[in-house]
Amino acid sequence: MLDSILLALSPYLLLVTTAGVCLGIIWGALPGLSTTMAMGLLIGLSAGMGQNSAICFMLGVYTGSVFGGAISAVLINIPGTPDAVPTMIEGHQLAQRGEGGQALGMAIASSFIGGWVGIILLVAFIPLLLTFALNFRSWEMFLLALTGILVAGTMSTGEMPLKGWISGWLGMLVAFVGLDAIHATPRFTFGTFALFDGISYVPVLIGLFGLAEILRTLPSPSAPTIPSGVDRVVPPLRMIMKYFKSAVRSGVLGTVIGAIPGAGANVASFLSYDIGRRRASPEERAKWGKGSYEAIVCAETANNANIGGSMLPTLALGIPGNAAAAALLAALTLKNVVVGPTIETDHPGLIYFIYAALVVANMIMYVAALMLIRPCVRLFSLPRGILMPLILPVCIIGAYSVKLSIFDVWIMFAAGIFGWLMSRFKFPVAPMVLGVILAPLADESLRRSLFIFEDKSWSYVASQWIGTVLIIFIALVIIDGIRRLFSKPSDPSKAAV
Amino acid sequence: MAKPDTPPKQVIFEGEEAGAGFASPLMDFIASAFLLLIAAAFMAGSLALPVPGSLATAPGLLPFLTAASLGLMALALAWTAWQRWRASRLLATRMAPFDWDLPTELRTLALALCVLIYISALQILTFRTDFVLGGFPLVLSAFEPVTIVVLVVIMSLFWRGPLWISLTISIVWTVFLSLVFRNMFHVPLPGS
Repeated sequence: MLDSILLALSPYLLLVTTAGVCLGIIWGALPGLSTTMAMGLLIGLSAGMGQNSAICFMLGVYTGSVFGGAISAVLINIPGTPDAVPTMIEGHQLAQRGEGGQALGMAIASSFIGGWVGIILLVAFIPLLLTFALNFRSWEMFLLALTGILVAGTMSTGEMPLKGWISGWLGMLVAFVGLDAIHATPRFTFGTFALFDGISYVPVLIGLFGLAEILRTLPSPSAPTIPSGVDRVVPPLRMIMKYFKSAVRSGVLGTVIGAIPGAGANVASFLSYDIGRRRASPEERAKWGKGSYEAIVCAETANNANIGGSMLPTLALGIPGNAAAAALLAALTLKNVVVGPTIETDHPGLIYFIYAALVVANMIMYVAALMLIRPCVRLFSLPRGILMPLILPVCIIGAYSVKLSIFDVWIMFAAGIFGWLMSRFKFPVAPMVLGVILAPLADESLRRSLFIFEDKSWSYVASQWIGTVLIIFIALVIIDGIRRLFSKPSDPSKAAV
Repeated sequence: MAKPDTPPKQVIFEGEEAGAGFASPLMDFIASAFLLLIAAAFMAGSLALPVPGSLATAPGLLPFLTAASLGLMALALAWTAWQRWRASRLLATRMAPFDWDLPTELRTLALALCVLIYISALQILTFRTDFVLGGFPLVLSAFEPVTIVVLVVIMSLFWRGPLWISLTISIVWTVFLSLVFRNMFHVPLPGS
């Protein structure tokens, strides 16, 4: 572990992590540019780096961009990332009262604490999960992949999980294109040689989160934003201690939510905000919704703790905790790192390096956030018509750099158009990415397990207790989704939309 | 007189992805019809695949199951759309069939066309010139001029500022990307 920390602290990796964190903070701070978009587009840049540099860079981007959303949320009342909505509600009201600097200071300190809680829980629980994951065979891996896609679908759409599932299923169908892993039979290739290798999920990810976002936000009219003034940004220590209990509680909650496949920083931030309100003292609760520091602590701690949580299933099972973790998984795959139950035997020491990289990224985030707030305020005054087109060549390079194939750029374009259409028809796109990533695992695992089960009885299948538990869980998720399908929308106006 | 208290703002969770959920019934009908077509095509394609071993290991097994369940989900989507359409008729609520803004959609179309032309140009125009400037090896390929032109066009479409600013930003950004990817990380760029 000490070797890994020393390696992560080597000057070059420190520089790469700093670059990733700074890019992440700026990216996250810019409205309309999400964490997943940052992760997806910067895979292209990480493709040219070594394995350790790519890990440090991507974890830096992840850590920085999750916090970055708070800057625009507080100063211009637009959440840089969706998980910064609670911070926006509370922080902007504080900024209007001239307490913007203090609100941002609290957000930085909370994100830092959240990052630590996530890392500590990751380090504590990953050995247990890895030991447990060794019991997972083909049948369990198939069910786990299915669970990931279903839960991602449920979590992505509040009132209509059906659309989330459809999105995940479409992703699975996309992943079936190409030679199948067992018999090398070409599937849905229509004789096109370029499709024999399958559709790589990196261009799909870049198209869905990068190009689709540009198509969605650039043409829509937007008013110029005037940032609130920001005074000295120093988190007051006394205030941090006052809300320390809330921070730890939200951190634990954020990590646990992050560990659930499909549930990301958004769920963590909103749920922690809601639980924080219920558990706050009456005088503190009265401030909730009008500018509460405790509310900022709850939301920001949870969304940064989510990073460590999302690493748990990603590293131990190969099932990404959320769409941003899926992008990280894609970057790791490009570096020939196959994550999953055998990560410790396949890549000895790598897991310690990932812990170390997360620790270093979190430390750098604290310093970089304090230094980057003022430059970010200047960036907010840049018109969207200048800013968004600059992302387009990054999308093109990102898609091209994986296999140096212009065909992948066309895939990215098609995915971008499809992603834009999906958002117009109000379908979520994150489950589709999870579907594309998890379908090959699901396909191979299902066929292997059916081959094993071929001459066995049903009671033998049922005796695989982890699988049976997963089947019960899947059934519950589906039943809950169907129940929501039959219930009326909570907002009556939606009935007639 | 004491100033009345402002009501606290509400935080509403709409799911991990804001904006996803209920569309107009007509849009959901269109989506379900499209999904049914996709499901049917994949089911037919799966059945046409060879079965080298047993049925349990058939290459088309999971694609068929996925497409079949997608078809069922498409029918469920159509059913919910039908329910909402009926509810709106009973409530005599005026429905907007599409919540689309035509000028915005036209701008989106123009942007998509620009991207299409950009990628086509990178595919068709391929050249590469290596040269040395002040002892520093540099590369000029189709990526640089094509990117500069496309960025200027897009900026002119969506920003009403002076052309020289768009041109300067496009040149600086393209050269920056080219240097970072080609020289620093040794990632080849399209169009070369």
